[in-house]
Amino acid sequence: MDKPPIVIIGAGPAGLAAAHELAAHGHSSIIVEKLDKVGGLARTENYRGFSFDIGGHRFFTKEEEVNRLWRELLGPEFLRRPRLSRIYYRRRFFYYPLRPLNALAGLGVWRSLAIVLSYLRWQLFPHKGEDTFEQWVTNRFGRKLFETFFKTYTEKVWGISCAELRAEWAAQRIRGLSLKTALIGMFRKPPATIKTLIEEFDYPRLGPGMMWQAARDAVERRGSSVRLGCEVISIRRRGSAIENVLISNNGHQEALSGAEFISSMPVKELVEKLDPPPSQSVIEAARRLRFRGLIVVCLIVRRPDLFPDNWIYIHDPTVKVGRIQNYKNWSPAMAGDGSKTSLGMEYFATPGDGLWSMSDGALIELAKTEINRIGLAASADVEDGCVVRAPEAYPVYDADYRSALATVREFVNGLENFQTIGRNGLHRYNNQDHAMLTGILAARNIALAERNDLWSVNTDSEYHEELLVPDKAIEEALARIFTRLDRTAFAAAVGIVCGAALFAATIALVIKGGDVVGPNLSLLRQYFPGYRVTASGSLLGLAYGFCAGYIGGWLFAFLRNAAMFIYVARAYRRAQRGLLRRFFDYL
Amino acid sequence: MTAEKELEQVILTRIVRLNARIQGVVTGLIAGLLLFFATNWLVLKGGYRVGPHLALLGQFFIGYHVSFLGSLIGFAYAFVCGFFVGYAIAWIYNRIADGRQRAG
Repeated sequence: MDKPPIVIIGAGPAGLAAAHELAAHGHSSIIVEKLDKVGGLARTENYRGFSFDIGGHRFFTKEEEVNRLWRELLGPEFLRRPRLSRIYYRRRFFYYPLRPLNALAGLGVWRSLAIVLSYLRWQLFPHKGEDTFEQWVTNRFGRKLFETFFKTYTEKVWGISCAELRAEWAAQRIRGLSLKTALIGMFRKPPATIKTLIEEFDYPRLGPGMMWQAARDAVERRGSSVRLGCEVISIRRRGSAIENVLISNNGHQEALSGAEFISSMPVKELVEKLDPPPSQSVIEAARRLRFRGLIVVCLIVRRPDLFPDNWIYIHDPTVKVGRIQNYKNWSPAMAGDGSKTSLGMEYFATPGDGLWSMSDGALIELAKTEINRIGLAASADVEDGCVVRAPEAYPVYDADYRSALATVREFVNGLENFQTIGRNGLHRYNNQDHAMLTGILAARNIALAERNDLWSVNTDSEYHEELLVPDKAIEEALARIFTRLDRTAFAAAVGIVCGAALFAATIALVIKGGDVVGPNLSLLRQYFPGYRVTASGSLLGLAYGFCAGYIGGWLFAFLRNAAMFIYVARAYRRAQRGLLRRFFDYL
Repeated sequence: MTAEKELEQVILTRIVRLNARIQGVVTGLIAGLLLFFATNWLVLKGGYRVGPHLALLGQFFIGYHVSFLGSLIGFAYAFVCGFFVGYAIAWIYNRIADGRQRAG
C-alpha cells in the first residue's frame, strides 16, 4: 500500500465502510473521529457493564453487498431476534404495526365508534387541499385516528405541530409507495421474506458498536488507522481542491494531507469549517439545514424482566418521552447483569431548547418519574442512569431544506478531491445500510474511478420492506391497463359506427325491396319517432343511430373510467394505509 | 422525473389508444360466438318452427339459417361484421383522440 492515504472524516458506518472498501482495493486511509469510540450515530455506549444502543438499530437491508459485509465482519455474533413493539397511549398498549381489532378493542366501544364515524366523515368530506401532514393523514384515516395514533408522536419527534409539518414530508417518508407499487401489489403478493423482516431482525450480540469495532479492526489490520478524539478544526482548500484537514487531539493540532478526502460530518458543519470559506450564499444555505437531536436517558432497573417489547412508542401526551428501548430484548448480552434491566428513554429535542438544556441529573429524574407514570417500572427500582446526547440525530426535512441542500450540494460537487457521505454528510434520512453504501460507492469512485452519484443513493427501499421493483414491461402494461378512455372520442366513434350500421341496414333492405320492406327493422320507430325503412328514413336512421351510439359510447367510457379510477384510488389508499400502519418505523 | 411520477402522469393524464386490429378480432369473436351459440341453442331446443326471429338475420347474412350449418355461416358473418365494427370504432376513436390531443 504505497499509494497516498485517503483522509476520512467520521468513523461511523459510512466512514468505516468507505475505509473497508478502500482497503479492499489496496488504499490505506486515515479515519478521524471526534468521539472516543467508533460507530457515529449508530454507536453503542457502555455504562457500568450495560450497553446502550443510541436509537435502536435493526439490521436488515436489501443491499446485498452491505449484508455480505455485515456477515463477514460479525459472523456468528449476529443474532436473529424477534420483534415486538407497541404504542402506549392513554394508559393502554397497542400492537405496532397497528392491528385494527387490537386497536379498536383497546380504545373502547365509544371511542372506536367515534373513530369509525370520523373515518367515514373524512372519506365523504375530505380536506380539499392536502398541504399539511394533519390534512394528509386525516383524509386517509379520519381526524380521530389521526389524533390518537399520529399527532402526538410525530410532534414529539419533530417538535413542530402537525398543522405546520408539510404533507410533502409525509409523502416523502413513504415515497416508496408509488402508484406503481400499489398497483403491482394488487397483482403480486409480497415474498415471504418480507414478513420475516417485519417480524424479526438481525442484531449484533453486544449491540451495533460491536459491528463498527469489527470494521475498525478489519481496516486497521489492512494498514489504515482510526484516530479517535480528533476534532476537525478546518478543512483547508486551494480553489476547488482540498489540501489538508487540520485536526485537534487533546489540544495538539495536526494537518492531515491526503490525495482524496471523504467526510461524513454534517454538511452544515463541513461548510463552516472550510478554509477559505465558500460564498455567502452557500454558507447561508448550509445554515438553513436543521437537525433534530436525540437524548437517550439510560436507566438501570433492579428487575430481571420489565416488558416483552424491543421498544415502545410513547404517544401519550402527558409524558415527554417519545420511545423506550428495552435493550435486553434486543440482545440479552446488552445487560451486563442478568438480574437487572437496562432501558433507553428517548427524548427528541432541538439543541438549545428546554429539554436539551436540562442537566443530566434532571433528565434522569424526569425519566424515572415518567417510567413510573407509564407503569413500566417503579422509580424506586431505578438504581442508576446516564445520559447520551446526539445533537444531529435527524436531518429535518422542512419546507426550506430542499433548496438549501441544492445550493450546498452544487458547491460540494464542485470540489475535486472531496466527497461527502452518510446520513448527515448528505443531509439525508438514510439508515445505516444506505449510509454504508454511500461510503462504499465513494470509495469506488476513488479506487475504481467510478462515477457513482452518492446523493442519489436511495432511501426508499429501507422504509418499505415490501417494496417491489417492477421492470419496464410491467410499467408499460400498467400504463396500458390504467389509462383513461377519451369519452368524447369513444362516444363519437361508437355513434358513427352505429349510425352507419343503421343506415347501411336500412338501405340494404330498401334496395332488396319486396311487398313489405323491412317490417322488423321498422319496429325501431317505437324508439326512433319518424324512422321508416325508406331512403329518406335511412338518413334519419343515420342520425338516430349516431345519437344512440354516442350516448351509449359516452356512458360506457365514463363508467369504465370511473370504475378504473375508483379501483386505482382504492388500491393506492389501501397500500398507503398499510404503510402508515408502520409509519413510525420510518420516522 | 422519477419513474413513479412518470407512471402517475401516464395513468392520470394520458388517454388510452386502442389497437384497432385487436379490438376488431375481439368484437368479431364475441359477435361470432354469440350468433353461433344462439343459433345452436335454438336448434337444440327444436320445435315446430325453429328460431323464426333469429332467422330474420338472413335478410342481411345471405345463406344464414337457424341450423347447425347456419350457425357456422352465421359465425363467419358475425365475425366479419363484428371485426369491422370493432375495428371501425377503434380506428375512429384513435383519430378523434389524436385530433383532440393535438387541439389541446
